[in-house]
Amino acid sequence: MVDDDPSIVAVISDILAAEGHEVVAAENGQEALAKANGEALVLLDMRMPVLDGWGFARRFRASGKRSPIVVMTAAENASRWAAEIGADGYLAKPFEIDALIAAVERHATKPH
Amino acid sequence: MSAIELVSVLTELIFVLVFLLVAWSAVRRRTRTSVDIALFFGAIAAFIVESRVVTTLGLEQVELVNDVVTILVIAMPYLLLRLVDDFSTVPFIANRLAEAGLLFSAIAFLATVGQPPTSIVLVIVVYFAALATYCAVKFIRAARRSSGVTRRRLEAVAAATLLLGLTILVAGLSPVVPAAAGALDGLVQILALGSAIAYFVGFAPPPILRRAWQEPELRAFLRRAASLPRLPDTPSIVGALQDGAGSTLGARATIGLYDRETNKLRFQDPHGVLPNEIGPSEYLVWRAFETQGAAYYADAARANPGLAPAYRAHGVRSLLIAPISAATERLGALEAYTDHQPVFSEDDLDLVRLLADQAAVILESRSLIDEAARVRAHEQAARLKEDFISAAAHDLKTPLTTLVAQAQFLERRAVTEPSAPPDIAGIRRIVLEARRLSALVVELLDSARLEQGKLVGEREPVDLVELARDITGRETYQGRRITLSADAPVVGSYDPRRIEQALENLVENAVKYSPEASEVRIAIMKRDGLARIDVTDEGIGIPSADLAQIFERFHRGTNVDDRRFAGMGLGLFICKGIVEQHGGRISVDSRVGTGSTFHVVLPLGDTA
Repeated sequence: MVDDDPSIVAVISDILAAEGHEVVAAENGQEALAKANGEALVLLDMRMPVLDGWGFARRFRASGKRSPIVVMTAAENASRWAAEIGADGYLAKPFEIDALIAAVERHATKPH
Repeated sequence: MSAIELVSVLTELIFVLVFLLVAWSAVRRRTRTSVDIALFFGAIAAFIVESRVVTTLGLEQVELVNDVVTILVIAMPYLLLRLVDDFSTVPFIANRLAEAGLLFSAIAFLATVGQPPTSIVLVIVVYFAALATYCAVKFIRAARRSSGVTRRRLEAVAAATLLLGLTILVAGLSPVVPAAAGALDGLVQILALGSAIAYFVGFAPPPILRRAWQEPELRAFLRRAASLPRLPDTPSIVGALQDGAGSTLGARATIGLYDRETNKLRFQDPHGVLPNEIGPSEYLVWRAFETQGAAYYADAARANPGLAPAYRAHGVRSLLIAPISAATERLGALEAYTDHQPVFSEDDLDLVRLLADQAAVILESRSLIDEAARVRAHEQAARLKEDFISAAAHDLKTPLTTLVAQAQFLERRAVTEPSAPPDIAGIRRIVLEARRLSALVVELLDSARLEQGKLVGEREPVDLVELARDITGRETYQGRRITLSADAPVVGSYDPRRIEQALENLVENAVKYSPEASEVRIAIMKRDGLARIDVTDEGIGIPSADLAQIFERFHRGTNVDDRRFAGMGLGLFICKGIVEQHGGRISVDSRVGTGSTFHVVLPLGDTA
């Protein structure tokens, strides 16, 4: 999960942990690229300092990584931004936790 | 034919030619001046023709013709003085002296049947020469006052008059010194030729010469014109155009801009003699504007007797007017005037038309620039508003995301695991984000109020020093070194809540953007009847590229790490609004890596 807002990172980590998922948090695209290690899903904020969502997605794909990406953004045009980076899905902030859990279930790659 | 004779014939031909030219122009346009000029050269031409005819044909001199020509020659200096009077003012005494001289010479000649004794001749010659010199000086003075073609012409006339005076003086002296008669005669011929050429140049300049004179002025005007549309506003452009047209035409120039709403020409006359606005009326400028035709009036008062007193009172004698219009739009009129005639001539109409067209181009491109700026400003305002809404939405939704998710998560846990211990961290997160949201909402409302100018409310006496002491003593700033230097209370009339908010914002920024071990200094003093507050930090500073916009809504320094320094970029915008609505000013000096100082100057207001 890549987001520059520590509160959001904390609450989403708690929710997903309760669902039985393991969460690796990064506060910007750069840190996320460094930490990425074949995760089942990337939850990606778009507006971030250092390296934003667009920059992260481009480099992430360029490096051959295949993890699905779900965009989470507070911006009006969440769906367009998701399409721009070829994301698999999007969550418009603020979202219901059911929507979060459903998105994760739907897009995360299942262990083989 | 000897060289001297050749020079003499040439001189005579030129004088006759000048006479024909000025006579033609006097016939075409009869003004006092054109008639005076024609009379003056008529006298010279008559003398030349008469003596030529007599000597060539070997005729007996006809008494009457001879007398008439003699009188004309004697009248020459007087005619010259009349001419000077047309260009500048000749004092009463000079006129009377000239008349007395004229009378004396006429009587002397007629009484002695054209053969006055040498002494009388000498007196007359000296009178001639002195008057010519006086006239030459007058012409030079008139030339100094004008510019462009007019100046050159008056200079030529002055030179010609001076040469004429010398010619008469030397010619008059030659009988007195018979020994040198031959040499003096040659000198007379050469001086006369010089005088003839100079008169020709002055009174009947060929178009090629006129154009050559106009060219430098015109070039200078065009050179200046290119940069005119960039001047800050239309009045300064009009001013520059007036100056340029004035110096090109050698006159006073004024531009009237057409105001469609009032149907009037609005003038900005630097000489302050013309009415500020002229609507539909008999004024010649309105006539030219309405008919969209350029016009030349040698004597405005005579051309428009109804308004003669107005023209006389305003010192408008000769007048050149050209409409200023771009394509189908009538923009105004260019008017050039002088208090003496005939500085202009018909030929200057082309020039004034050219200047008016140039003015139209300049004014038109100026209005296009203005229009483009208006559109840009409008677009920018719209974009800013849009940016503001989307940025505000984004910033409000961020804490809301945590609030919604955390609250739902707590609710779910309370249902599924009723016996689990309370999630203290989760509850704290809700409190924290709710506060953050509340602060954002307050900021947004403040900025909306600020836009309506309703940010500052009831004022009361506030001691800024006490206020600063109160702020720096707060728990938030414990552990930070904040020094306050103020020697006495500084009490002004302010909205206490808002002024506190502004000061607090500055202190908060200083603390937020500087290392924990560094010092924040606040200085408050009263100077020149104003309260001055300086807040200095040793923080990250503001990049010079950001300085200009640092007080604008949503602008944050490009070196500000959003993650470390939360904020919507409204703080300084609101701060500036509070200071300005109190009638004060806020500014900042800053260097990246060294720190920033915010300066606030506030009027003390009525604290009584």
